[in-house]
Amino acid sequence: MSNVAPANPLEMLAYNLSLLIEDGQIVYVGTGLPMVGAMLAHQTHAKNITMVFESGGQDPSEGCDMPWSVGDPFTFRKAPMSMEMAISFGQCALGYVDIAFQGGAQIDMYGNVNTSVIGSYENLKSILPGSGGGNDIGSLTEKSVLVGLQTPDRFPERVDFLTTPGFLDGGDSRQKAGLYGGPIAVVTQVGVYDFEPVSKRMRIKALNPGMTVEIAQACTGFELLVPDKIETVEPPPDEVLEILRTVVDPRGVFTKMPGT
Amino acid sequence: MDHKYSNEDHLKRLIDYRDAREFHLKKDRRKRDKRMSLSEAIAEFVWDGDIFAETGFSYVRSPIQAYFELVRQQKKNLTGIGSPMSNTSYMMSRGCMTGLHLSYVGVEMRGNDKNFARMIKEKYAQIYSIWSHGSMAQGFKAAQLGSPCIASKQLLGTDMVTKNPYVKVINNPVSDEEDPVCMIPALFPDVCIIHVQQADRYGNAVIYGPAINDVALAAACRKVIITAERIVPEMTIRDKGNASIPFWYVDAVVELPYGAYPGCCPGHYYWNREWWEFLVRIGTYTHENMLDYTDNWIMNTKDQYDFIEKAGGIRVIDHARRLVEAAEGVADDTAISFHYQEVIPKRD
Repeated sequence: MSNVAPANPLEMLAYNLSLLIEDGQIVYVGTGLPMVGAMLAHQTHAKNITMVFESGGQDPSEGCDMPWSVGDPFTFRKAPMSMEMAISFGQCALGYVDIAFQGGAQIDMYGNVNTSVIGSYENLKSILPGSGGGNDIGSLTEKSVLVGLQTPDRFPERVDFLTTPGFLDGGDSRQKAGLYGGPIAVVTQVGVYDFEPVSKRMRIKALNPGMTVEIAQACTGFELLVPDKIETVEPPPDEVLEILRTVVDPRGVFTKMPGT
Repeated sequence: MDHKYSNEDHLKRLIDYRDAREFHLKKDRRKRDKRMSLSEAIAEFVWDGDIFAETGFSYVRSPIQAYFELVRQQKKNLTGIGSPMSNTSYMMSRGCMTGLHLSYVGVEMRGNDKNFARMIKEKYAQIYSIWSHGSMAQGFKAAQLGSPCIASKQLLGTDMVTKNPYVKVINNPVSDEEDPVCMIPALFPDVCIIHVQQADRYGNAVIYGPAINDVALAAACRKVIITAERIVPEMTIRDKGNASIPFWYVDAVVELPYGAYPGCCPGHYYWNREWWEFLVRIGTYTHENMLDYTDNWIMNTKDQYDFIEKAGGIRVIDHARRLVEAAEGVADDTAISFHYQEVIPKRD
């Protein structure tokens, strides 16, 4: 019997994010769990990835701690160079960035993201920070991965405000709007989703251990597509959890459960 | 400075490249000693009603101590712009900023800025247009390039285009194929303050670490104030040839060590992370909290040294210097801990 405590939901989430990164890729990294996922991938199966940041840091050397912000000195530690913001985003359009991550207050059935406002600007329920680099990364990057805690409110049929384009109204509407790439996955505490290739609707791909289709549906404000075969995510091996807990996020800044 | 804007409507002036050009043409471009105190620079070059651009990355090499002076001088009716623009929040709560062109106001994973939400909800300030970081950055970059506009692949398909009167989605006019693009006008804020590691007395300025949008903003803005950790001899900059802002863009040069504190200044000091967490997690919670916090840290301090004394003095600033050196891999980081007491408010 292993004496390593099993992964908590946030660690599972970070682990699932890490699995989406392939060795050799250029990864656009934001703060929080995406950064943990990217660093975990780098420490395990993807030693040859390159991380780039919207504040301009490019390919920093590995440091002794985690960046506190996307503008942290760890994002340009002993970096060969840094880029101006417009140029750092420009690389996504140029085809130099393979994968990027994006969080949001709302994610809808076509992978559109809202980080602007709940309600509307005319009739505000709550106001969120705004796009930041979310729209840019989501509009331009070849593959984007959406990250969120899944509840029916946070996963509505349609976002209140479309800040970052997913597949817009589904089908080929994203392409028709003149956008590149698109979301390939949604990762939550429940599992991993993808998008059905024709309708571009969100579909269950794999569920975390202990999760069921019913739980996934109960956490969602629209009807999820359910394929014939659903994978179950294998829990992370002990050595991966060890790396996550001792090397990647030793202070548990992003992967410790609140209140523990 | 005695000349005015020819276009008095700030919403139109933001994209009025002719007005910006005329203004630049009238600037005294002699190479002269532009050093002055922070209070003189803010009093002379930040005018009530200006479009005010935030620089740096909100809390990375941002001229925060200059923002504090602007609050102390009670500037009025400013319109904020910048990507990102997290310092806008407290400037709104002190009544300095009454409008904004929004890209992002917040402190990333540290929490939502409730003060920003309240200011908009209760109509202390209004949002004139909505942007992403990159599209706004392209607007500044277009200005720097001398182009009236730029064709972008950002903002397409979103609700931002309906909340942004400046941008327009059209078919790429130089393509024969169907190719939607979002046309973004060059953006010309009235004034910005840029904090740099080194400048000479004339305004040639050296940035270490990410420049964000500052090189473009220095070119675009009608008026530019440089605050610098150090004023160095002109020859120090000439030896390396590494200035990224030329003196003729610059109106005032202020020597201001710790001018980016409590933010981070690459090569000099790390953030005061607790200060930012207290601001966003407790300060922004109610309007009263916000006034207390800004009274304490802005109105009741007279300069950056006062601020640092209040924050813990030499021990705190020395720790901040070690942390930045460790983060940048300059100091041996094996014995330096980034642990700190995170600010987590108790709630009923």
